[in-house]
Order: sequence, then C-alpha cells, then structure tokens
Amino acid sequence: MYRSVIISLFLLLISFSSYSHEMTPTYPKFKSSYMDGLLVTEMEIFNKRRDVAYYEIGVFDKDFEPIPFVSSYSVYKVDYLKKVSVEIYVRKKDEPSITYICSRSKVLKQRVSNTSVTSTICSKVRRGK
Amino acid sequence: MKKLILISAAIMTASYALADAPITGSVQSRCVVTTDTPGVYGNPNAYTLTTDPSDGGVLPIVRFDVTLADAYYAQITYPTEFTSSPSLSDTVTWTGSTEVSAVSDATGMGSYETDKTTFGETSQYDLTATGSTWFKTSSEATMGGNKAFPGGSYSATVEAKCIAQ
Repeated sequence: MYRSVIISLFLLLISFSSYSHEMTPTYPKFKSSYMDGLLVTEMEIFNKRRDVAYYEIGVFDKDFEPIPFVSSYSVYKVDYLKKVSVEIYVRKKDEPSITYICSRSKVLKQRVSNTSVTSTICSKVRRGK
Repeated sequence: MKKLILISAAIMTASYALADAPITGSVQSRCVVTTDTPGVYGNPNAYTLTTDPSDGGVLPIVRFDVTLADAYYAQITYPTEFTSSPSLSDTVTWTGSTEVSAVSDATGMGSYETDKTTFGETSQYDLTATGSTWFKTSSEATMGGNKAFPGGSYSATVEAKCIAQ
C-alpha cells in the first residue's frame, strides 16, 4: 500500500519536474511569399518548459553558419504551455544553401539554476514539391 | 400548429448547436527535448565543483522523445564555462561526459551508447528508433593551482540539441 503511494508520488514528482521544448514541422518547405524575391515558411514552437519563456530563432546552412532571415522577432516570447507560430522570410537566392531552422531556449540570467539545460531543436529544410 | 412548428424548429436548432463541438488535431513527426533533472554541483573540496552524486552533486538528465526513427541526432555538450559565478582569480579546467541513462526500447536503442560519436565536449547519438532516451551529463570544474573557489553561487549550462537528419 505504502509502496504504491510512494511510487505514485515519485511519478507525480517526475511529471511535474520535467520541462520540454517542441518545434514543428521537422521538415519545413519554403514557398513563395507575397513579396517579390522572398520565400516564406511557418514554424510552430510549443513551450512546456516552466523555466523558459524565450526562444531564439536561427536559419543556418549545412555547416551551421547563419543565413540572413527576417521574422517579426529573433527572440520570441512563448509562455508556458503556449504555442507560437513563427513566419520566416528568406531571400530566394539564399534558399539553395538553407539547411536548418533552429529554435534555442534562452535562460534568463537571474533564473539560471546550478546547471541548467539549453535546449535546441533544428528542423531540416526540404526542397522540391 | 404554427406554434408547434416553431418549437420543433427551436429544439432542432438547439440540439444541432449542442452536437457541434469539433476537436481537430494533426499528427506530425517531432523531437521533444525535456529537462528531466536539472543538475547540482557538489563541492567535495575547496577547488572542485562536480555533479558526481558521490560528492554531493546531482547529474542533469535530459530526455529526447522522437516519433520518427532515423530522423534525428541528439547532441549533448557539457559546459566549459560558468554562466554566472563570483569573480575568479585563476583559470578553471573543465571535464565532463555524457552517456545514455535509460531507454524506452532496450532492443532498438541498446546500441546508442556504443555507437555514439564524441567530438570535443559534444556527444552525438543517432536516434534510430522511436521512443524516449534519457541522457545524463557529468561536469566537473577545477580551479587552477588548487586555489579555492570563492564563496557564492555558480551555474553552468548543458546544451541539448535535437537535429533533423
């Protein structure tokens, strides 16, 4: 009896103490935008990390060298258990070298614990139809 | 008669409105990075900070959940600097490592640890099966010349990356 209560409490503690970060789609595609010479794609970030409220977006080539892009912000505020859609615009001429779109958690300096974890999720851009 | 028709129509409309509560959703492949346990540094002697549990530390544990096999890499990097600390009088030497702590599918994920590649401070795992994998990272900071770490709070960051293949 006590054993099952202890196990339940332990599992409850684990479920409350875990924090996660999601970004979809895994394989985004760029499509023509309403602006000439620019392509657009849309990503979605879901924040299940209580300790994080900001995520930085980046666009990279195959060697993780940054590629210029435009979005409403480079760092998005995503409250706990909220989803945010992010539109990313890139130049058509840069499209062949774009390989990854990444979101990276930003831990506030005053909230850093003894050893915190920075989570990064990188989606891989797919080309063609 | 007219009243009866009106009442019937009202009931039909009401039942229609009550029945119409759609729930929509979509399923797509994803990688979820979860901090299961934030780490804690123990201080076994004046010049060492370590996450080793035998020295009073706690190992940080990160979980990767993937819903598509052979689609992601997990890259975990142990810290090489403090994100915040008191002013330090000497250089700090960093060591660390990452290893698989637990898996949800012993058959499909059993070779993750032996198949990992390590470059610098980073360990890379090819997530070849769907499910959850827990990784634990150890970190140790040693003050140069065996000088004592000054009093205060210290923090460092483990980087956990999930990269689509």
